Amino acid sequence: MKVGFLIGGGLICAGLLLQVLLGPVNWTRLAWPVNLIVLILLLAAVGILYALRKEVYAFEWMMHAGAAVPCLIYAASLTMLMGLLPQVREGGMPWLSQMLSFWPFVLIWSWMMLISALAALNHLLRWKWKEIPFILNHLGVVVAIVAATLGNADIQSLELTAYTGEPEWRALDEMGRLHEPGLAIELHKFTMELYPNKMPKRFASDISVYTEDGKTVQGTVEVNKPLKVNGWKIYQYSYDVNKGPESDYSVFQLVKDPWIAWVYLGIFMMLAGALCLMLFMAPKPVKE
Amino acid sequence: MSWDSFVYFALGAVLLWVAGAFFAWKGRKTWVYICTLAGIAVFFAFILGMWVSLERPPLRTMGETRLWYSFFLPVAGIIVYSRWRYKWILSFSTLLSFVFICVNLFKPEIHSKNLMPALQSPWFAPHVIVYMFSYALLGAATVMAIWMLVRKDKTTQKEINLTDNLVYVGQAFLTFGMLFGALWAKEAWGTYWAWDPKETWAAATWLCYLVYLHFRKAKPAEWQISCIILLVSFVCLQICWWGINYLPSAHGGLSVHTY
Repeated sequence: MKVGFLIGGGLICAGLLLQVLLGPVNWTRLAWPVNLIVLILLLAAVGILYALRKEVYAFEWMMHAGAAVPCLIYAASLTMLMGLLPQVREGGMPWLSQMLSFWPFVLIWSWMMLISALAALNHLLRWKWKEIPFILNHLGVVVAIVAATLGNADIQSLELTAYTGEPEWRALDEMGRLHEPGLAIELHKFTMELYPNKMPKRFASDISVYTEDGKTVQGTVEVNKPLKVNGWKIYQYSYDVNKGPESDYSVFQLVKDPWIAWVYLGIFMMLAGALCLMLFMAPKPVKE
Repeated sequence: MSWDSFVYFALGAVLLWVAGAFFAWKGRKTWVYICTLAGIAVFFAFILGMWVSLERPPLRTMGETRLWYSFFLPVAGIIVYSRWRYKWILSFSTLLSFVFICVNLFKPEIHSKNLMPALQSPWFAPHVIVYMFSYALLGAATVMAIWMLVRKDKTTQKEINLTDNLVYVGQAFLTFGMLFGALWAKEAWGTYWAWDPKETWAAATWLCYLVYLHFRKAKPAEWQISCIILLVSFVCLQICWWGINYLPSAHGGLSVHTY
């Protein structure tokens, strides 16, 4: 376990060095196809480490719970630090206020994914039915987090404001740049119900979506009920807050996340894994 | 049903749970089940009543989450009792539940009927209920850890085993709570994980309990260290649940979870 603490410490030092030399992690660089290349390299690394486990003791050691403990302690500590310090897009404390771009944080989490993937592969290749819970838990978390991380730069999130009766095809990204998502939204009617104290209870938009390939989709979009068209998810985002129920426009958020299916796969594996954790993995009760 | 009638239901339920705990010490199994389950039913009747009169599940405010916590403690207690036959477990769960009931009685919080649109989701109830059940189990595991650290060498394998089981099931429910939240967030906000301060602490807590599970596998003999890991994890859990409201990181509208 001491070795694990040393490795983690080494990763933090290496991370600090990278931070000084390269500056914070630039996640936008991971956009397609860089993320695919990183994924292939990652899979290759896992494969090579696994293949050499008999030759290099360290690779064998990485698959065991003893290696996971120090890694998890480092990851938990850095995550707590992130929870303690306000996270802001710019400014704040140097490095620590942008923890997600802080190299030591990224390296420790990567290390965690690597050893979890190795452990999962190890159990997968000496297949027995009773290995399923272990595989679901370790592979699930790797699939979900790796897909979420690598896919992040490919997520498109746009804001589209549509006035009643006027089809709108232009949308703005977070930086305020104009985009054409390849579909137009026409707002037919914006409806809103209020609580007696005037707080919104429900707001929704009746819309038609016209796509570039000539489809027309009619539907209602409301909070918690997005509409899916051509790979875009259309969310009810906002309205004219000064006019409330009389708002003559509605603001939609359009999200396209090409990696989402993998994230969901990971999440469902983790859910199944958690079920197994309590049903099969918990130690049997002992009688005195 | 309103908070005005809470005191009667709470009193009825606590009396039944005290009776159940008493019968546990006396070894009268049938009566243990009858009394404890009756108490749970009485308490749940109040929750249901609130649910109906609020026209939404009572899960929105701190006070309402405490209501579920008080409910799940005896539920977890009777499950542990049925499996391990600990005489003291029901006394403990009753006492802890009583503490949370008192907090709700003496420090009632604004219980508004209004639920903002983002919270009107089928995920809302499972997300919070599952978390509260997990908190109850992990709370029980913490008490076990303190108990074992105090008694040192007198600690039995059975106690270590019970603690392990509480954490395994607690961690499973913690995972459910976290992932239900992610699935819900994707439907409501378009992102499944946003590193909102509450989410960050949920991740830290989840990792802490994973430290425990892996440490137990790696060093099964060093149970005292694993008890200390549980104490640290529980502090993390408390920060995630309510401590976060006092942290600078969650201020200034940075969290969708402030309540």
